[in-house]
Amino acid sequence: MYQFDWSILLGESGRLLLRGAEVTIELAALALVLALILGFIFGVLRWSAIGLLKPICWLYVEFLRNTPPLVQILFWYFSATVILPNSVILTLRDYGFQFIAATFALGLYHSGFIAEIVRGGLNAIPRGQYEAAQAIGFSFPQTIRYILLPQLLRITAPTLTNEAVSLVKNTSLALAIGVTEITYQARYIDYTSFRGVEALLAVTTFYLVLCLAIAGLGHGLQRWLSRHRRAVA
Amino acid sequence: MNWELVFTANNVRRLLIGDYPEALGGVALTLVLSVIAIVLATLLGFLIGYMRFAGGRPLRWAAAGYVELLRNIPLLVLIFWAYFAPPYFGYEPTKFTSVLVALVLFNAAYIAEVVRSGLLSVSAGQTEAARAMGMSPLQQALYVMLPIAAYNTIPALTGRYITLLKGTSLAFLIGLSEVTEIGRQINNRLLTAPVEIYATLLVIYFCLNRSLSGGMRLFEDRRRFNRIFCFFAR
Repeated sequence: MYQFDWSILLGESGRLLLRGAEVTIELAALALVLALILGFIFGVLRWSAIGLLKPICWLYVEFLRNTPPLVQILFWYFSATVILPNSVILTLRDYGFQFIAATFALGLYHSGFIAEIVRGGLNAIPRGQYEAAQAIGFSFPQTIRYILLPQLLRITAPTLTNEAVSLVKNTSLALAIGVTEITYQARYIDYTSFRGVEALLAVTTFYLVLCLAIAGLGHGLQRWLSRHRRAVA
Repeated sequence: MNWELVFTANNVRRLLIGDYPEALGGVALTLVLSVIAIVLATLLGFLIGYMRFAGGRPLRWAAAGYVELLRNIPLLVLIFWAYFAPPYFGYEPTKFTSVLVALVLFNAAYIAEVVRSGLLSVSAGQTEAARAMGMSPLQQALYVMLPIAAYNTIPALTGRYITLLKGTSLAFLIGLSEVTEIGRQINNRLLTAPVEIYATLLVIYFCLNRSLSGGMRLFEDRRRFNRIFCFFAR
């Protein structure tokens, strides 16, 4: 029978896992920001359906959503050296090339899903809302700020939360290109000290706590956003 | 661009069927893995979803705990559990079984939630009518509630199946020679054509997933769905 030795998590292995946790959280946060920005842009473009942009946005969303995030990470990581000029590669290398490639790939992957969420949210806002805004003389920026955005955020908050949880889980794929996030550290501990089960259990707990915390935060945000509604859906 | 280096007869063959006579691989292995995992995950998902919907309190809690645990850890961590943990306890699983078990357990949790919401969408009148006709609870579930729930959940299930198919690419991280692993091997040998190889992989997955969602759309025809379901329920 396997003898558990939990004390390893207090020593050097524990330090490695903590450093990995830090990288995971950084990666997830940066990728989420990128995904939200790109997702909102493409979501609005797809919703507005301007002639020529329509097929481009369709391809963007469908291609990102129908291919594995892992292959996308590998694609951007290995292709960057061919696509980008040499000087850019050298600069990026100073900031951790793998980390940047993983952030970019994950942000791009999830932006495809967020674009669809945003489009769905925009479609769910009744036409009458814009017409009413126009009728009482709101300018276009005012319409966005006071009419569109509050409703859009309220409608999309639950699905965006799910997407954030899914993004956190997908950061584990970054180990394929050697980003030293927490799952990578668990494998490293397994190789060096043969304490894989303890390390895996620690990593599982970390993801569980982080994802449940994000889900809880999202739920709180959702309630805060719908505070003005009398009947909470 | 070095397309002619990538698309040699040997590389195309390996991408499609791996080293077939010795070991199945490539797209074929990806498909086999996906199909088996889809069938098993759907069965397990329906079971757990029904448990969470209609079970007694202990069953309901067990199902809820399962769903919340599995949905909040990465698939990759689950695959590592299934492959690297059993040897510590004296059992050596094959790569294929490890990935299959992880894929099934992970996706069943999501399918259970989809099924539960499908069951909640069955209107009360349907179940009351079934009860009024004197059906036993099992008959109500099998002949009335589950078929309606299954039909209502087709779009959500399609999305889950696509995620599952995309998830099979993770198998290359433990060295199972599905299509991503073969692509990586070709890349390691050539070293000069990464864009071409990984773009090819992306296109392959794109085509597989579009065919999958196209195939699932066939079931959205209610008459066709009923015909197929009746065939299996007989």
